[in-house]
Amino acid sequence: MSSDKKPTETGRWLDATGPDADVVVSVRVRFARNLEGVPFANRAQPADQDRVVGAARLALEDTGYLGSGRFVDDEQLGDDRCRLLLERHLVSPHFADSRLRRGLYIGDGEAASLMVNEEDHLRFQSLASGLDFPRAFEAASELDEKLESQLAYAFSAELGFLTACPTNLGTGMRASVLVHLPGLVLSREIEKVLRGAVQIGLAVRGLYGEGSEVKGNLFQVSNQKTLGQSESEILETVTDIARQVVDYERKAREYLIKNLRTETEDKVFRSLALLRSARILTTDEAINLLATVRFGVALGVINEVSLGQASRLLVLVRPANLQELLGEKLAPPERDERRATFVRESLTREA
Amino acid sequence: MKQCDLCGAADATIHVRQMDKAGSVTEIDVCEECARKRGFSEIEKIQNDVAQVLAEMKDKVAVEDAQLVCPGCGMSYADFKRQGRLGCPRCYDAFGEKLLPLVRRIHGAVQHVGRSTRSGVKHAQVKMTAQRLRLELEDAIKSEDYERAARLRDELSHVERQEAD
Repeated sequence: MSSDKKPTETGRWLDATGPDADVVVSVRVRFARNLEGVPFANRAQPADQDRVVGAARLALEDTGYLGSGRFVDDEQLGDDRCRLLLERHLVSPHFADSRLRRGLYIGDGEAASLMVNEEDHLRFQSLASGLDFPRAFEAASELDEKLESQLAYAFSAELGFLTACPTNLGTGMRASVLVHLPGLVLSREIEKVLRGAVQIGLAVRGLYGEGSEVKGNLFQVSNQKTLGQSESEILETVTDIARQVVDYERKAREYLIKNLRTETEDKVFRSLALLRSARILTTDEAINLLATVRFGVALGVINEVSLGQASRLLVLVRPANLQELLGEKLAPPERDERRATFVRESLTREA
Repeated sequence: MKQCDLCGAADATIHVRQMDKAGSVTEIDVCEECARKRGFSEIEKIQNDVAQVLAEMKDKVAVEDAQLVCPGCGMSYADFKRQGRLGCPRCYDAFGEKLLPLVRRIHGAVQHVGRSTRSGVKHAQVKMTAQRLRLELEDAIKSEDYERAARLRDELSHVERQEAD
């Protein structure tokens, strides 16, 4: 990646400094917007797609967003790079696989990003550490308002912001929270809690959103409906549910520490020991072990690693990030060895 | 298979439901032979007709869906049903009636609340102004204040032009 910063530097939203960071890794607020008078991305001719990329870039430039952030053209969005950005939660799986003419803006500190020609012309998001929706919402809203001063959005008084898929109509807003729930998984309460969230009309997904797998007991909870509720009502609902989930998770953790302290300590220390000694680590194994270590840190059982460090490593061990870090393309067997070395060194250095 | 309620010999293939003038219903199962003799043969035809009507209705919907085309991007409603994605912002106007039930199913609502665009705010204001003027105009006509009505009519036609933009 032609970035000037060190590849070990991850987004600020991963530093675990936000509220309720023991359970909530991060929050994300994203808006879907389209330009009036232009077919939606899928139906737009390449020339129209280019026009939208050009208009978005100009709007970002004119509103001062390119001063601190950067804009990446389609030519620079190769498969490896997209993989890396996907692992860092800056683009969606759909965007990474798309064959349309795309554009991408990445804000300072990777706290915000804007995809041009995903399913909608513009999909932009803001990420924040912990359960801090106000911060994420304000940043995304500011970007929205600035862009609107330069671009004509497709909007109707009845249906709100018009989107390629009717599921995003209205506010075009998705508020999601990435929660780490090992306590509820261990105490087998997870099904019940997630079912409750689904009943209220929220969606529960895996690590990278729609259609992705759950790894390391990390779950994404977000609003499903976007029409008929205002932005603040949506944020309130998702925040309320997230708070309840945080409460349940903390109670489950308390229970484990009170009644199964030795077993729990054994589990998290074994994970740390494995990470510090293994010579071969696959991505999935590394993610699962690191998530367990993160759990140990949140419990106050492990002190020599920080929450932020565990969260960052959870991203850095993923294949494209590791490759970027090592500066070379490696086949899986060798990559697993190098991953083990990287993790071992990171966790030993800290001690 | 049940035997014919009339001859008691052949298999009953036709179900007859008769209602007399008093509204009481008799139901019998008869064979084809007896049905023809008793003049029930029309029943089969009716059954065929119903099936045909249903098939025609289905074809008609398919034709309608294919003919309902968005003037903005040329996408048909049939295309949307296949792909699940609309072609352009104008599709929502073009497919309005057909889309709204789907939107209601997804969101449980068909009216946006929340943030609006600058032009959206203006649009809503214009709409509200037009509505107010229409009510005032009605009022003026009722109270036979024709001078005021004429003024309101001018104002309204001006606002309506804005509304159409």
